[in-house]
Amino acid sequence: MEYQNVTGRIYDIQGYAVHDGPGIRTTVYTKGCPLRCLWCHSPESQYHSLELGYLPVKCLGVDLCQNACVSACPNGAISAGEPVRALDGSGELRKAMIDRAKCTGCLKCTKACITKALYPSGRDTTVDEVYERLDKDRGFFKNGGGITISGGEAMAQFEFTLNLAKRLKDSGLHICLDTTGFAPTEEFKQILPYIDLFLYDIKHMDTLMHKKLTGVGNELILTNARFLAEHGGALQIRVPVIPKLTDKEDNLRATAAFCAELGEAVKLVQLLPYHATGRMKYDRLGWHYKLKNVEPPTEDFMNRILALFQSYGLSAQLY
Amino acid sequence: MENFDISISERILGLKAKRERINRDLHLNIERNRIITEYYKAHENEYPVLKRAGYLYAWCATREINIEDDDIFLGDAGPHCRTVHFDIEQTSQSWLRGCFGDTDERFRAAWQVPGSIWVDDEDRQWLLEAADYWEGKDIGATARGLFPPEFTENAGPVLKDLTGSYPGHFNPNYERAVTVGFGAVRQTAIEKLDEIRKHTTADNVRSELFYRGLIKVCDGMILMSKRYAEGCRKKAETATPDRRAELLKMADSCDWIVENPARNLWEGFQTIFFYQYLITADGTHWADSPGLIDSFLGPLLENDVNTGALTREQAQELCDAFLLHYGDQIIMFPKPDNDRLIEAHRNGKTMFDLQGGMQNIAAGSLITLGGQKTDGTGDYNLATEMLLLSYYRLRVAEPSLALRINKHTPDRIWEIGIACSKRSGGLPQFNNDDVIIQTMLDKGVPLEDARRYAVFGCVEPAISGKEWSMAANCGGFGGGSSLINILQYVIHGNVNPMMGTPGMLPCKKLYEYESFEELKAEFERQVRFYIDYGARLYHFAALVFDQAWPCLSASVMTEGCLESGKDVTWGGAKYNGMGSMLSAVATVGDSLMTIKKLCFDDKTVSARELYDALQANWEGHELLRQRILNEVPFYGNDNDEPDALVQWFTNLWADHFNSRPGVNHGTNNCGALDLYWVWGGKMTWATPDGRKTGDPLSPSSDPRQDAVKNGPLAYVKSVAKMPWDKMRCGGAINLRFDANSVRGEDATAKVRELIQSYFAMGGIQFHFTVADTAIMRAAQKNPQDYQDLIVRIAGFSAYFTHLPFDDQENYIARYEIGV
Repeated sequence: MEYQNVTGRIYDIQGYAVHDGPGIRTTVYTKGCPLRCLWCHSPESQYHSLELGYLPVKCLGVDLCQNACVSACPNGAISAGEPVRALDGSGELRKAMIDRAKCTGCLKCTKACITKALYPSGRDTTVDEVYERLDKDRGFFKNGGGITISGGEAMAQFEFTLNLAKRLKDSGLHICLDTTGFAPTEEFKQILPYIDLFLYDIKHMDTLMHKKLTGVGNELILTNARFLAEHGGALQIRVPVIPKLTDKEDNLRATAAFCAELGEAVKLVQLLPYHATGRMKYDRLGWHYKLKNVEPPTEDFMNRILALFQSYGLSAQLY
Repeated sequence: MENFDISISERILGLKAKRERINRDLHLNIERNRIITEYYKAHENEYPVLKRAGYLYAWCATREINIEDDDIFLGDAGPHCRTVHFDIEQTSQSWLRGCFGDTDERFRAAWQVPGSIWVDDEDRQWLLEAADYWEGKDIGATARGLFPPEFTENAGPVLKDLTGSYPGHFNPNYERAVTVGFGAVRQTAIEKLDEIRKHTTADNVRSELFYRGLIKVCDGMILMSKRYAEGCRKKAETATPDRRAELLKMADSCDWIVENPARNLWEGFQTIFFYQYLITADGTHWADSPGLIDSFLGPLLENDVNTGALTREQAQELCDAFLLHYGDQIIMFPKPDNDRLIEAHRNGKTMFDLQGGMQNIAAGSLITLGGQKTDGTGDYNLATEMLLLSYYRLRVAEPSLALRINKHTPDRIWEIGIACSKRSGGLPQFNNDDVIIQTMLDKGVPLEDARRYAVFGCVEPAISGKEWSMAANCGGFGGGSSLINILQYVIHGNVNPMMGTPGMLPCKKLYEYESFEELKAEFERQVRFYIDYGARLYHFAALVFDQAWPCLSASVMTEGCLESGKDVTWGGAKYNGMGSMLSAVATVGDSLMTIKKLCFDDKTVSARELYDALQANWEGHELLRQRILNEVPFYGNDNDEPDALVQWFTNLWADHFNSRPGVNHGTNNCGALDLYWVWGGKMTWATPDGRKTGDPLSPSSDPRQDAVKNGPLAYVKSVAKMPWDKMRCGGAINLRFDANSVRGEDATAKVRELIQSYFAMGGIQFHFTVADTAIMRAAQKNPQDYQDLIVRIAGFSAYFTHLPFDDQENYIARYEIGV
């Protein structure tokens, strides 16, 4: 089939992705996203380009590999750091140190690194290859589980996502698309027949606030939600509850009212409390985490929001 | 969210707290050893089965009748609550001399300080004298008298010394004890005896002695119950009015039970305890388990609740109390020497800390719940639910718990089971009826019996009350050899590089094989050889017991013995089995994969270089080691190449072992389980998978701790590829989740789906724990705040804070399923 060789860029495939839709799921994460949400917990997914990731704990010192990464770097961005104590107590070692200003992202060092402490933040693949990997998990999907295509923003690699969805649909798997909703309506129209359930984020109802928090306004997102609802799409709306940013009552009420307005198409609203687990991923990429001084919302507060959504006649849950 | 009742009664809380106190003030069971020693001394020439019966009767008739002031059930197998048992006839003599013949100062530091298992000066003296008496007369001596020299001289890897002990590892027929009683068994034995006497033949002459022994054991048991009745009445004289009424009611019951079938739930439980005491006094059986307990207690429980004899709360309290007391059976194994004890006490640790990382402290016992009736319908009742809830409520790590799963398993039982395992890691383990019953059929067991299997010990299924299954430990003689040691011979030219000792089959060294196929063929030759050797040894081990060490406590109830006139050790049980457990599956598989890929397929590393690196324990070869760890595809990632190697040698082991002639005309049953991979790793030289000398081996049939790179589903799929349909002796996948991956309203349903998916792929047993790395790190820092944290180690669960540091670290290193 012609679509099998369509290429795409992904950064991970995860089994038992139990928070990405109904049942047991395996999720493929595409790379690149048009949004820049301040609380983004997968920063490695934001850019389509491949960045250099670094897990210093895996580096056993450049003396062991005879400066493999240092000599592989054409830009002199990697050097030996100050000696630190080895984790196993076997002495001292000088770990690779990256000068991010000099790194051009050529990733030559990742090929040289034996312990894979240096790694590319994603990889290129084809629909066929991804399908074969996903298909291996079929045995776990008997009770409503299946595949979730997530990102980044999967719609940003439309050809790949569309063809992957087709391929999966052909083989009878249940497919969720986890999306920000920020893509041309025409493309949603095309992919709609292949998606069993859209995991659809509504981040803020005020477009100016939305732009401030995510970098883009919300008009297209709301339009697409309405389009999908009107054309037989099934939606599971996800509402991130970020203290001080999205958790004001008028915004939450407006969100609930919008979800209610979408009617039958909305199968469930999931309220997602902020958590800081993505923070360490920023360090691995050498980036700054912008959301300082934000604590997860209290359970009590989340329960009140849950009641609020339920008061609009919505099926809602905390997640 | 699961939300089951955890309002435990004051009385149960008190009993639980009392046990925690007693754990720091334990006593060794001297009483039992005095009674047997005196009896055996006075009756040296009595025929073994009569001698054993005589001892058991003497024990029933003269043991202390101990009734605790506050307990809901009566007695203990020893004179104290939670007495620690050991058997003096089980080759304990050198251990006894080592511990009690030590200097006064060291003896006191080991056995007479707070937290020790108390032995007073007089008992110490007696133990030393008894050791002299038993020298040359114990089980090991019988073994030395009959084992062929190949097992005793230069036995290489298999048999270091003959330390025989009773085998344990079976499901005694508690059902018959509770629902039929010793009176009816006694009556049948009398009739059988009369019949035989009329027509004595070469075939039945020994049976006459057996029946005489059996009758004596029944007499003893009935007597012991009546002595407890008497004890209750005596105690009632000085008790408070409430307790007096309770004691008098217990007295009436004790006059009735044991001899007659139990009439209500309390009597059912108490009968189980009395029988458990007998079994413990007979041979401190390791890992005897009460079988399908909910099945035969359910009608009693439901009747009590329906007639109003018990409220639901009272019935639940009885179940709670049963669970606490069933875990009171403690066996000293392995036997600690004074060095270890002194060191432990110095660090404020107890016997529990010494043993906690090794096995289930409650004598390895395991309760099986749920299942099927003989007609294939589901067997779940109110007792299933209440006993399961007792585990959920109490958060105790032992006795271990198995839940049978089939298409009839009610949703509520699934929900409580999963909720329970989330609270107490690995309790219950989930058992797949579909495959396990098929393994029973493959052994030749008829369907109606196969449906009545129960699990004992760690993971071992056997026909409840009908099978004498010497399980993995080969009657305490340590049979077989481990795959990893065989692989070491194949690599190092028939030398174990850790010990420097030769094996039994000369062979090439790693760099001398022409092809990977040649190396595989050599591995196969050695595996077959050592299985044959072990299977042969099993027959002699069985003969040791047949010869001089019968087991009447098992025979009195086990189906087949009463009927055939044969002790279990003579093959009297309806079914007989012998187990052998695979271990370090991933270490072996990944090592083979490394050799195959690097030395033969890719040829990027010469076999000589790998051999030298191994000999040097990787020193100077760290780069090669890193390449192996990062480049070679390992088992546990749903990668067909390494998984196929694992399939190859596990099938080889299972097929060959299962087809050897079994002891007592029974079957050989392969399984996959290891309790000692941390300890075993300390005994194992560097392996080709990049493991360094002394580092832990891989746990049982799970992937090695750091090799899971494709996530949990790939992990589960790899393990599911093992030939579980041949693993008649059980074997589990053991997963660890973080709390995030099991949160949310549908989490229970998703865990259930995962279990069902694994079962549909052919897996037989599923164990899981929810424990975040961060929580365990916190528990290491502040153990007092995490006393309830229970994790699944292997076929048993343990309190995390009681584990030795190495085992804690190894558990933390296990793959964590996080989302």
